[in-house]
Order: sequence, then C-alpha cells, then structure tokens
Amino acid sequence: MNNGFRVLVVDDEQAFVATLIKRLGKRGLVCEGAFTAAEAIAALTNRDFDVVLLDMKLPDADGNDVLREVKRLKPDTQVVILTGHVSVSDGTKGIDGGAQDYLMKPVEFESLLDSLQRAARNRAIAA
Amino acid sequence: MRIYSATISDEALKVRSRESFYARQKQLFILVVALVSILPLVMIGWASSQYYKRSWLQQTSIDLKSSAEGRKEIIDRFLATQQDLLASLIELYGLDSLAAQPNLEKVFPAVNRSGVLVDLGVIDARGEHLAYVGPFRQQLAGRNYRDAAWFHETMRTGRYVSDVFTGYRGEPHFVVAVTDANRGWMLRATINSALFNGLLASAEVGPDGDAFIINRQGELQAVSRLPSVNGGETEAVIPAEELAAIESDFGATYHRHGNFLYATTWVNGHNWQLVLKTNIDSSLAQFYRAWNLGLLSILLAAVAILAVTTWLVRSMMGRIELADQQRMLLNNRVREVDKMALVGRLAASVAHEINNPLQIIGDQAGWIGELLEDEAEGQVINLVEYQAAVQKIKQHVGRASTITHRLLGFSRARGGQRSEVDINALVKETVAFLESEARTHRITVRFALQADLPPVMTDASQLQQVMLNIVNNAVDAIGDDGVISIRTSRQGGRLHIEFADSGPGLPPELLSKIFDPFFTTKKGGKGTGLGLSISRNIMHRLGGDIQAENGKQGGCRFTASLPLA
Repeated sequence: MNNGFRVLVVDDEQAFVATLIKRLGKRGLVCEGAFTAAEAIAALTNRDFDVVLLDMKLPDADGNDVLREVKRLKPDTQVVILTGHVSVSDGTKGIDGGAQDYLMKPVEFESLLDSLQRAARNRAIAA
Repeated sequence: MRIYSATISDEALKVRSRESFYARQKQLFILVVALVSILPLVMIGWASSQYYKRSWLQQTSIDLKSSAEGRKEIIDRFLATQQDLLASLIELYGLDSLAAQPNLEKVFPAVNRSGVLVDLGVIDARGEHLAYVGPFRQQLAGRNYRDAAWFHETMRTGRYVSDVFTGYRGEPHFVVAVTDANRGWMLRATINSALFNGLLASAEVGPDGDAFIINRQGELQAVSRLPSVNGGETEAVIPAEELAAIESDFGATYHRHGNFLYATTWVNGHNWQLVLKTNIDSSLAQFYRAWNLGLLSILLAAVAILAVTTWLVRSMMGRIELADQQRMLLNNRVREVDKMALVGRLAASVAHEINNPLQIIGDQAGWIGELLEDEAEGQVINLVEYQAAVQKIKQHVGRASTITHRLLGFSRARGGQRSEVDINALVKETVAFLESEARTHRITVRFALQADLPPVMTDASQLQQVMLNIVNNAVDAIGDDGVISIRTSRQGGRLHIEFADSGPGLPPELLSKIFDPFFTTKKGGKGTGLGLSISRNIMHRLGGDIQAENGKQGGCRFTASLPLA
C-alpha cells in the first residue's frame, strides 16, 4: 500500500520530526526531515518528494510562503499542512494555495498516515 | 452551591448612584429654569405695581387738587354773592328805608328765597342795632356792637366775613357784613351753616375722604362729614398732628400724611383754608383689584412655567438617560468585543503552544507502543503495563486536545463543517456524555422533544459543545438531587432547545453578565468563566442565539435557538 513513497517532514519541532520519520519509515515510507524553510527548499531543489508535510509556523518563513515555493519548484508534489494554529481562513488559504489537506495538531498518527497516503495517491494520479 | 460575588451590591450601588444623579440633575434644571423664568416675571410684576401705584397716587392727588380748586371757586362765589346782595340792598333802599323795621321785614323774605340767610340786621356807625329780621329778635333787639371786633373790622374794610362762632345763639354760624359807601352804617347777615356746609358735601373725596375749612388758627369753619362744627373746640375734631401737617404744607399739590392724601387752597381771601383729604386705601381700591388680578395672572403663569419646565426637563432628562444607557450598552458591547478579541487571541496562542507538545507527547507514546509491539514475547516483563500506560497517555493527549480545540473554538470556527443535523438525536447523544456524572449526583434528566422536528443545517460538533456547556453548568448548579428538563420545539421559523434546571437560579442583576468572558459563579478554580461566553459566540456564528432567565418555578433556564432555513 505504502510502496515507499517519499515524504519531506518540515517542522521546527525536532523531536516531532525525528519520531515521525521513524514511525513512517517503519511503515515503508522514505522520509526526510527539514527544520527550517531554507532546509526544506534545499531538499526539494535537490530531491523529489511525493508529499511534503508542512508546519505553518517555521522559524525563518511563513508556511504559506513555503507552500507557494514548493508548488513553484515541484508542482506535482503534494502538500499536507499540519499546524498547531488553525483557522478557517488559514485552512482556506492553504487549500487555495494547493495543499492537499489541512490537519490540526495534535493529530492521531493513523489520521496523519491516512492523509499522507491519500496525498501520495493523488501525486501518482497527477504524475 | 453557587457563590454570588460582591458585584451584586456594587452593581446595585452604581444603579442607585446613577438614578440619584439623574434625579439631582432634574431638580437642578427645574430649579434653574424656574428661577430664570419666574424670578424676572415676579420682579417685573413688583416693579410695575410700584410704578402704577405711584402713578395712581399722583393722579389721585392731581384730581384732589383740581377738585379743591373747583370748590374754592364755588365757596368764594357764594361769599361774594352774599356780600353783593347786602351791597345791592344798601344802594337800593338806603338807611332810612331799611332801618324801619316793617320795611326790613318786607325786604328780607323777598331777597332770601333760597334760605341762605338766617337773619338780617341794620347797624349804624355807633354800633346800634337799628332793625333786625330773624329768629333771634328778642335776644338781639337794641343790642350795641361797638365793642365787637367784627364791627370795627367791617367799619375799617367796608366788607367782612367772620369766622364761625357760637355767639348768643348757642350754635355755630358766621356773619357777612357790608357798609355803605361812606361807612356810615352797615347791613349784617347770618349765613345758614348747614347750607354753607352743603357746598363741601359734593366734593369728590372718595368714600372715606373729607372736605373742611379751617381758619388761620386751625379752627374748623365748615365740614362735609365731621359730626359737628364747634368753634373753639376744633382741635379736638382735627388731631393736632394732622393740623400741623396740613399747615406746614399749605398750597402743595401733593401732600401725604398717614393714610391720607391732602389738597389745600385758600378761600375767603387768605382767611380760610379749604382742605380736601382722601383715604389712600379707598382710592387705591381699584388699583388693588387690578393688582390682585395681575398677581393671580403672575401666579398662574409661574405655575404654568413650572409645569412646562418640569415636563420639559423630565422629558429631556428621560431622553438623556436613555441615550446614556444606550451609550453605556454600546460601550459595554465594545468592551466585550475587545475582551472577546483579546481572549480569542490568547486562546489561540495558548492552544497553539500546547498543541505542539501534545503532538510530540502523542507521537512519542505511539512510537513507544509500536516499539513494544516489536519486542519478543516475554522479553519485556511489564509489557502489558507499558502498553496500558501508552494507551493512557494517548487517551489524555486526546482529552487535552479536546480542551485546546474548545479553546480555539472560542475565537473561530474549527472546520466550520455544516451538515443536516437531527437535533433530538444530538441532544440525546450529548446528554449521554454526562449521564454517569448526573447519576452520581442523583440528577434526573427529563426530555420533552418535539417528534416531528425537521433536520437543521448546522455544525453538530459546535452545537454539541454548547449543549455540553449548558448541561454541565446545570449539573454544577444543582449539586445533588435535582432535575434537568430539556425541551425541543419549533417556534415559527426557529428551532428552540430549552434547558431548565432545578438549581437556585441567578440573581436578576447577574443574568445580563453570565455570558461575559471570565464571569463565573462557580467556586474558585472549578469554572473558567468561558463556557457560556464560548457558547454564545458559537450560537451567534451558527446564526442563532442563546438567552438565560430564571424559571417561574425557580432554577435557571437557557434557551438556544437556531434558524430552520
């Protein structure tokens, strides 16, 4: 099911990124972490990812700006937003900006996995 | 049990203080307006009355003076007429004719048809009474007047009018005497005092006024009203003080003494003073009637001004009070909105800060759970305990997550997903969450749900949050042993969900505050004061409303309403 799709986890909470990578990796996903917007853009520039799991509050940039940059660099890459601070307008803005889903922390791991899988499927269809 | 804070008395004091402020303002305005409008009215009225009173008195004095002048002419003409009559008799008949008693008796009635003369006598240059016609013939026949002052005066001047005196007759009278051209003899006549007094009676001196004549010694010569004229006793009739006042001011046009106005003029040459006096109060009677009418008008005007002022001030203050109340309400609303915005920002910030660690805690617990699954059977001694602990951590992360999501719900819609909701089912489902707690406190929940309610397009989770808040509050308010009644109904185009509890209810002055953020009557630490505020926010966002009131049978009643369309 997971057939090794690639996920870039972008979040400034290192503990969260580290654990999530381990858990997703355990399920066969190929994961990489980025703690800043710059790291995320660098990773995207150099490698391909099926899905980007993006936090909206990063130390060096706003999540929406990163989303725009992701869509500019890799239009087919799917983005799932995961944030602790969500609002209808933020959500709408994210979806309008091309995000596949918009999740609010704390989210259950199963729900997160489900969302990532759906995004990966969409990426496969788009490709 | 609920605790009602000291704000009750503070609020009551504020209300009383506002009411007393408006009452004071009303009284002040009425007083100022009444003073400003009534005082000038009274002052104008008083000044006018003084002016008109003075004018009235002056006019009365002028009239009195004019009347005195008119009387003077009549009196002087009367005296001149009597003297001329005697002079004419002297010229026409001569001494020889008139000294014959029979002739005099013939002439006298012929010339005295008016009865002005009491008697008539012929006296020669030696003072001998040659002839006499009149009622005192016995007493006066053959009498000699050569020692009488009047005789000498007449012989000296040719014409003479005496002062009033009693003489032999024992009653007041005066005489007029005229000599012939050679001063060889004279005719002397006594004047009827009653007729002479009659000349004064018609003087216009008012009801309590008087007209009289005094000589240079202040003795009364004639009167219009005084009971009697008694030469030599006049001081007793005219008080000395009054006499002095009159004498000090002979000839003045306007003279006042006591309550009387006087007008005086000389008559009979400069021998007598004619005095007319009028009572000021009597002559002002008409003025006083007019003044009383004016006073009544001023009084009525003052009452009217006071009434209109009171009405206007009350009406204006009522409007000001209403405007103030509306402004206060608006200010309160603005403050509330500000507070809500602040609370919203605070809630969002707190939720965000807590959501991140919650995510990590949940993930770490999940990761531990997964790792434990990888362990070989029997390798981890307390595997079951660890797994239970992980489950508990995940469960409480979920619980904390519910709280943070609720906090975020305070400031904005979370997801805002609307769908067709069966309200009755939602009510039952919501109450099910609190069933065990209700049972613990021996609280019965009764339902009266209208069966045929149409589904409502709304956000079920948000509405559920509202219901949870209200039912939770009801449980807290009741404490132990009580009833919560939930009723749903369709009223017009709206759906009503009513929650009534059997708790103590709320003081009326707090009912308007219970939707304020951070307002709570729960014991310290138990309530955040956000529940009802969030609930109202949610209801407004869903297009509905929520109201609180005390039930007729006691307890508190919350009614949430939603539009059906």
